[in-house]
Amino acid sequence: MKVNAQAFFNFSAAHVPLLRQLAERTGELSAGEVMRLVREQADAHEELPETTWRRLREYQILVPSEPGGEFYLLAEPVARLLTYLHNNANPATPEMIRGYVQSLDTLAKQLASALESENVMVVGLAFNEISLTLRRIHADLDETHQAILAEVGRYKTERQRVSVREKFRRIVYWMERYVEPMIEIVRADGPLRETFDEVDRLLRGAREQALFNDHPALERNLRFLRLVGAHALRVFVQCRKEIQPLYESLRRSTFIAEGASRALEKLQSEGLANWGTAPLIGICSLRFQNVPGDAAIAMALRRVIEHPPEPPPVLDLTSEETTPDELVRRLWLDQLPYHVRPELPLSDLLDWIVKRHPEKDTSVILAGFTALVFHNEFEARFSDAKPNEYATANGAINARPVQLKSP
Amino acid sequence: MNDLPHLGEIFDRLKRGSHLGPDDEPLYSALTADPDTYVRYFAPLGLQLVRHEREFFYFEPENPENVPDTMPRIAVFSYIFVDHAANQGRPIEEFIFGQNFLLTALPHFTLDRYTALLRQVDVHDVKGLETVLRHMERIGWVKWLGPDEFRFLRPFHRVFSKCIELAQAATIPTPVPSDPPTTTS
Repeated sequence: MKVNAQAFFNFSAAHVPLLRQLAERTGELSAGEVMRLVREQADAHEELPETTWRRLREYQILVPSEPGGEFYLLAEPVARLLTYLHNNANPATPEMIRGYVQSLDTLAKQLASALESENVMVVGLAFNEISLTLRRIHADLDETHQAILAEVGRYKTERQRVSVREKFRRIVYWMERYVEPMIEIVRADGPLRETFDEVDRLLRGAREQALFNDHPALERNLRFLRLVGAHALRVFVQCRKEIQPLYESLRRSTFIAEGASRALEKLQSEGLANWGTAPLIGICSLRFQNVPGDAAIAMALRRVIEHPPEPPPVLDLTSEETTPDELVRRLWLDQLPYHVRPELPLSDLLDWIVKRHPEKDTSVILAGFTALVFHNEFEARFSDAKPNEYATANGAINARPVQLKSP
Repeated sequence: MNDLPHLGEIFDRLKRGSHLGPDDEPLYSALTADPDTYVRYFAPLGLQLVRHEREFFYFEPENPENVPDTMPRIAVFSYIFVDHAANQGRPIEEFIFGQNFLLTALPHFTLDRYTALLRQVDVHDVKGLETVLRHMERIGWVKWLGPDEFRFLRPFHRVFSKCIELAQAATIPTPVPSDPPTTTS
């Protein structure tokens, strides 16, 4: 249905806030939702809400999402007009640009065929359509560039509590959805360039064959073709430059958050005893052991310094004239078993010793007696006989006789 | 070589686990002026002086398994803080280094989950958090600006490096902006 332009713009001029609100809503709107928005803006004019609601449909600002349906959408041409008026940009998807490229491919084939058959009318139509497609590509690229810049700006200024993980996911979406695929399409050896080169070749062919006489328009198209090609690449390289630092920063933050989260999860699930040392940050901690302190070193030095001098000890290296008593005693004890062996068995060991060595004193006699009693080659036996008195050089020993024999 | 400026003081700080960053003048300037000479000086003593890519210095621990008792507390405190920062809508490093914090306004007891995690390392209240922060001050990770106010210092990047290490260990290794610290040589 044809819409009266005058009435449409008069209505739009009187309902700018309402149209802005409708433009900001994405998706379908129920009649109830639209009425609520209309009533919210009702103070701005004297029109009844029901009248506003009727005109929204009458001027095809809102159209049913499906024939006879109860839900409405903002009509696409109106949405585009509002986007233009509000300077809002919508990014072109890679599929849209690919669609343009395919469209140019088809047009190039038609143009090639028309040039071959020298069909001037088809050449003219293809030429016009190529112009239109190029203008659309240029406009969409510009809009995508603006949309990406606006998105980056929002990330940088947005202070609302959105987690870095969420932000990272969104920026990755933009990178993966728009920037990288677009660069793939528009790069110097990509499909856009290839198609543009082919179109360029055919347009030149049209000029050379004099099948299209509007030379200024032809020149304009050739210039535009070069301009769009270079512009496309520059736009998306710029977009990547804008997004890349943000992407890197958020990617790093996401990794940091993930690491911390994993460490905490492990602590929560496995407890401190099983947390291990992996989540801990190593810190140098030198511990000195057995190192003397300054006071100990000072004391040692003072002792050395204050030690009184004394002559070194002198060793007497001359041989002694008399045999030391201890050595005589040792030799006597060592020889005693050899002397007793031929005399065995003895019925009274002590009697044998004192008679043989009357010059020895009591302690030496007892040392000899003990050595023989405990000698491993002899066997001593204590008897119940009547005790005797054994005279030594310096006293006497009272004891029962002890027998000694070979085992 | 013994004439290296501030050698004794630098050694004294580093050997106790401290990190030296731009807030530790004049020691930091002495180290940054000639880091290789200091590295060579300490190497025969078995001490590896590390210059972190974010420009601060520390001694590599001799045995990474042998960590001081305070480190689990510091780690839990730090990871909770990073977890909280991740939800604030700004890059984590910008959030942590871009402002001062109040001891009484820390997020550590705002969630039951955080409280339970802190309990595991015997931190039960704000006083416990203050003790942890005092330890962190000793190793050069935070600086007190008042009785209740502090800020994180550059060596706190060691926590971020550890987080990235843990994240990478758990996933397919992919290069992350800024690699782990490298030794000056």
